[in-house]
Parts: sequence; structure tokens; C-alpha cells
Amino acid sequence: MTRKNKTTRFSPGWLLAAALALAVFFVCIGTPYAGPKQVVSAKGGDCKACHGQEKVFSPSHPDTKAMAYKDCLGCHAKGGPQMLQGKLPGSHLHQLRGVTCEKCHGKVAKPEAVDVNQCLKCHNADKLAERTAKVKPENPHTSPHYGTSLDCTLCHRQHAKSENYCNQCHQFNFVVP
Amino acid sequence: MSDDAGEKKGLTRRGFLKSAGGVAAVAGMAAGGIAVGAREGATRPAAVPKKWDQAYDVVIIGSGFAGLAAAIEAKSAGASVVVIEKMPVHGGNSIINGGDFCAPVTRLQKAAGVQDSPDLMYKDMMKAGLYLNNPELARILADNAGGALEWCEDYVGAKFTRLNFHGGHSVKRANQTANASGSELVNKMLAKAKGLGVEVLTRTKMERMITNKDGRVVGIEVKTGYRYPDEKTGKTANIKAGKAVVLTSGGFSNDIALRQIQDPRLTDKFGTTNQPGATGEALLAACMAGAMDVQMDWIQLGPWTSPDEKGFGHVPLFCERLVGYGPMIDPATGKRFFKETGNRKERADAIILLGHPVIIMGDSYSVPKQVFPGALEKGLQNGAVKKFDSLEAMAKNYNIPLETFQKEIARWNSFVEKKKDDDFDCMIFPDAKPTVAPPFYAARLWPKVHHTMGGLVIDRNAQVFGFSLKPVKGLYAAGEVTGGIHGAVRLGGVAMADCIVFGRIAGRNAAKETAWG
Repeated sequence: MTRKNKTTRFSPGWLLAAALALAVFFVCIGTPYAGPKQVVSAKGGDCKACHGQEKVFSPSHPDTKAMAYKDCLGCHAKGGPQMLQGKLPGSHLHQLRGVTCEKCHGKVAKPEAVDVNQCLKCHNADKLAERTAKVKPENPHTSPHYGTSLDCTLCHRQHAKSENYCNQCHQFNFVVP
Repeated sequence: MSDDAGEKKGLTRRGFLKSAGGVAAVAGMAAGGIAVGAREGATRPAAVPKKWDQAYDVVIIGSGFAGLAAAIEAKSAGASVVVIEKMPVHGGNSIINGGDFCAPVTRLQKAAGVQDSPDLMYKDMMKAGLYLNNPELARILADNAGGALEWCEDYVGAKFTRLNFHGGHSVKRANQTANASGSELVNKMLAKAKGLGVEVLTRTKMERMITNKDGRVVGIEVKTGYRYPDEKTGKTANIKAGKAVVLTSGGFSNDIALRQIQDPRLTDKFGTTNQPGATGEALLAACMAGAMDVQMDWIQLGPWTSPDEKGFGHVPLFCERLVGYGPMIDPATGKRFFKETGNRKERADAIILLGHPVIIMGDSYSVPKQVFPGALEKGLQNGAVKKFDSLEAMAKNYNIPLETFQKEIARWNSFVEKKKDDDFDCMIFPDAKPTVAPPFYAARLWPKVHHTMGGLVIDRNAQVFGFSLKPVKGLYAAGEVTGGIHGAVRLGGVAMADCIVFGRIAGRNAAKETAWG
């Protein structure tokens, strides 16, 4: 009705409240750019397909859109100082090597978490434990507690940063791909 | 041995508060308030749902020793059984424990010529427990521990190969698994249970009990696909327990909020030996459904843990094999300060009263003879156990006044020669020799929260007792989630016996319950 009313409507208090509400909203749903889309058809090197405009590389990094895993290895040799293992979530390494979403999750509209038997179709737990028998201070793929029976994803997270499950109780400095 | 009640004076729980550690702990709490863990509090029991997602005769919560013992017995008695486990792995604390099972008159005791009896084990438990133990339950435990061990060996197929001593026991009666870990027993029980047709569901967390209008427990509400510790994960489902629910969810040593309510000293400044899931929400959910708790503030600290490694670590297996063979020294004075073979509470309180870590030591006779080779090697590897060419080198490393230290070792050695400790009445074993032969080994000790003696009240049938002063219908419990069996102090190696004895009783009686509908 009058100007006075209008100014009241946009007072600093209101603005603060609106900003707070917006902040709470983003905290609840996650910041708008941090949650990449999980585009099933995306090629492994096509970061933008899922991450959009989010800066996932330093500006000097070459364009990866057309790259496959073997192209990455030119700079990121496995075991070398720049290796991708431990830096990228496991799903990216899988994807780059042609193990696409649906190879684990199946052709479904809404992919769900898979269990360890899916991993074991390609990875043999006993052979893996043999291969890492000499890792210090302990073999990461077997233990006096659980043998080789643990879920791979307890450490090798596919859609999050990998972690060292042993370190809940121990102190083992493993590099976890 | 004489009673050391005199020494206990001043080491009471109140006395502790006067120590430096106690003051710091209390100050920390006052500043920080009560810490709240990742979980939320317990929820009131739910009403009976119209539709059950799953149905079994017996629903067991927790996959450690007690839960699997209950599962095997209930299944063998003809019941359909499910075991749920909130963690992504089975075995709880049982699978990381040291594998010591105390029982009297066993094969290993006979081979070693040890004279023992259920009566003596009962007396040791009661004395250590300050006679606060429920005598009926303690008696059942002592009388049935031998049979329970035989069941683990003969029926389950677990191997026990070594006889150990634990502080507070009159004799060596800890029968240790072949791999010095509870995993030997847990994994074989799990295989047995699965072989019998027991279903085991990991990542499945009980949210609350479900009771009918008469207050009888008829099922539980769970979250399936729960990803510890994210409380936002998982789907709600209702599991019907046609006959009974058996709660074997373990203790709450890792529940800083709950343990601090019970014993305000136990702030986050104290580490624990427990797996991260050892929290109390299932116990509290049972209380909300009418179960009574008892002696919740008797929380045990292990006196044999090291500040130089995480969790339980390797030092407990080093320390406990050396007591009665080598001395425990206060590095500030270079002198002994307490009976090495005393029980856990006495020793932990004595160390905390000093206010700083102490050391346990042995020589090239006692250490290789007593300490499990793997534990020694790994302790040396991670630096928690150290090796020295001379007593001088050891004194220098720990900043011990050398002259007093050397005199004290000579004095200890004189006690070992005559097999009698004039200073603290430490039990000295017949095959102990003076600590003289280099290299010497030592580890620092500082207590960590280890076991919660308190918990749900159960009767001789392992049925949970309620605030109604009557049994809670349809609810059984066994293992560390129960209280009153150990009183003030659970002796080393008695937890395994407790879990197997009462787990089996709970499983058998749960299967015998009359179905409610």
C-alpha cells in the first residue's frame, strides 16, 4: 500500500532469514555442485557428463573426454607418484577400463548397492591375498579376524573416497585404491 | 595368598577422582558437556504392525560369541532363527578378542598339572567382583564353563592349545585358542550356525522392540541395508519373533555418552579396546521395553593396554603373559608400585592414581618363553614393545632413575628366587626366573575402557527381568549386554565363558517359548 510497507518487506532481517533458509536447504540436499549426476551412458573420460561445470582438474590438465584408461597411464603409471589409485573413487577406474555402471548394477532405472558377490565375479579374494602377502605391516587382503571374507567396499569405496577399514582399531599405512 | 584389602583403600572409585588423571578428566567433562555419539537415543517400543516383513521363531541381535551360541542352540532345538548384526562384519568384539576361555578342570589344565575346581573359579569371581556378583548366575557360569569349553572344542570344532594365567585368578585356567584370537571360535561358530540353516544378516540394525498389549516382546523394528555409522541409511522393516527375541548386542565401552553418564571419569580422553559398534542403543531399547538394568557404572579399564598403539593392540598379550615373571615399574621412581598379578580394577586404578604410564618388563628367558611370537614381533614392529641390550639402556629410554631401578630389579629377583614377594604379594610362578638375561623387553601401559560389567538383569534361564520385578515375556539376553554376573570386576578370560554358557541357555529357552500367535 505504501512505500513504508515495501521497505519492511525487504528489511535486513528478512534477507538474513532468507539467506539462512537457503543455506539450510543446501546443507540438507547437499551443495548444488558437489553431488555429480550419475549418468549411466557417460564415458569414463567425459567428466562434464556428470560433473558439469565443476572444476575437477587443474587448468593445465589435458582434455580427457576421448581418453581411455591406457591413455591416463602415460602420466599416471600404477605404482608411480601420480597413480590414480587412491585419488579417484573406484567407480571411475572401473568406468575408465570399460566396467560401466550397468556391468555391476544391471540395466535398471534406479541402481542399488550391490553385494560382494558382484565384485567376486571378476576379483578372486584368495588370489588377491596371495598377491599382497608381502605388504607391510600386514597383508591388507586377509586378517586373523575375518580371513578373506570381508566386503571389498569396506575399503574400496566405489562412489566415495576409499578408506582403510583396519584403521578403526589398527594403524596400518596402506594406500587404498 | 593374603587378602590385599589394605592396598585397595584409597583406590576406590572416589579415590580415583583425586588423582591427576581424574581431575583432568572431570575438568574436560565440565568444559565439554556430555559428548553425544553418532547415534540417537533409544526409542519407545512400537505397537504390533499389521504386516510383518519377515518372521522367525527366534530373533537374535548381535553376532558375537553369545549370539552365535544362542543361534546354534535355538536352531538345534528346532526353531527358525535369524541373527542380525548392525555392522558390515560379523563377530563384534568377540572376533577381535584374545581368545582366552576360562574354565576349571580342563584338558590343558590336567596336562599342566593344575589343580582347579568350579568352586575355586566361583570364589575367584566373587572376590574380584567385591561380592556384588549375582551369586546364582556366577555359580551357573563356574559350574558350566568346563562343559561349554568342551562344546566349543568337540561340537563347534574350535582348537584350544595353550593354558594362560590372568590376574585375579588363583590358578592358570585360561584356555587359549590356537590363533590367540576369538576369531578361531567365532568363525567356526558362524560356519556351524549357517550350516544348520541359521540366517545371518549384517548391516541390519535394531531400532526398537515391538511389544503387544500385554507387554510381551513379539518382534523388532530394524533398518536393513544400514551403513554404520550413518543413521540416515537403511530401510525400516519389521521382523516377527514368533517365540522370542534374544539380545546379545554386547557392551557399551565405545559409547562415550552412555559410559560418561554411568562413570563421569570416562570421557573421550580414555581410548577403548572395543570395536566401534560397541555402543548401548540396543540395551537402552530393551530398557524402554521394560527390561531392568543393573550395575551400569562398573565399567572396566584394561590395565595392560599401551598408549603407544591403537585399540587393544599387541601389548596386552605381552603384558599378561609376563605378570608373575617380570616386574611392573613406575618410571618416575624406578620402583614397583603394585601387585602385578592383581585383578584388572586394582591394577588400572593403581596406574591411573600415579597419573602417568608405567612399564612392564621381561628378559630373554621370560619373554620368548611366555609371549605369543606373533604378538611380540608385531609389538616390536609398531614400536609399542621395545628391546634393550641392558637395564641401563632401558632406564635411559624411559627416563628411569638408574640406581634405584637397578636396586629394585635386584630386590624383585630375590623375591623370584624364594618365590615370595614381600612387597606386594605378587604371585610368582614356579618356572619364573630372575630378570637378568639380556636383551630386555619392555612396554608402556596406560588403561583403556574394556568391558562394561553392568547391563540387563537376567535370571537363571537367561530371561530378562523387568522393572515390573517380573520376567519380560519373550525377551532373553546373554553376554556383555547383561549385568550382575561379574559384579565389580570381570576377571580376564571369563567373558568367553559367560557368553557361551548363557548364550546357550538363552538359545535353548528361547526355542522352548510358547509361540504367541
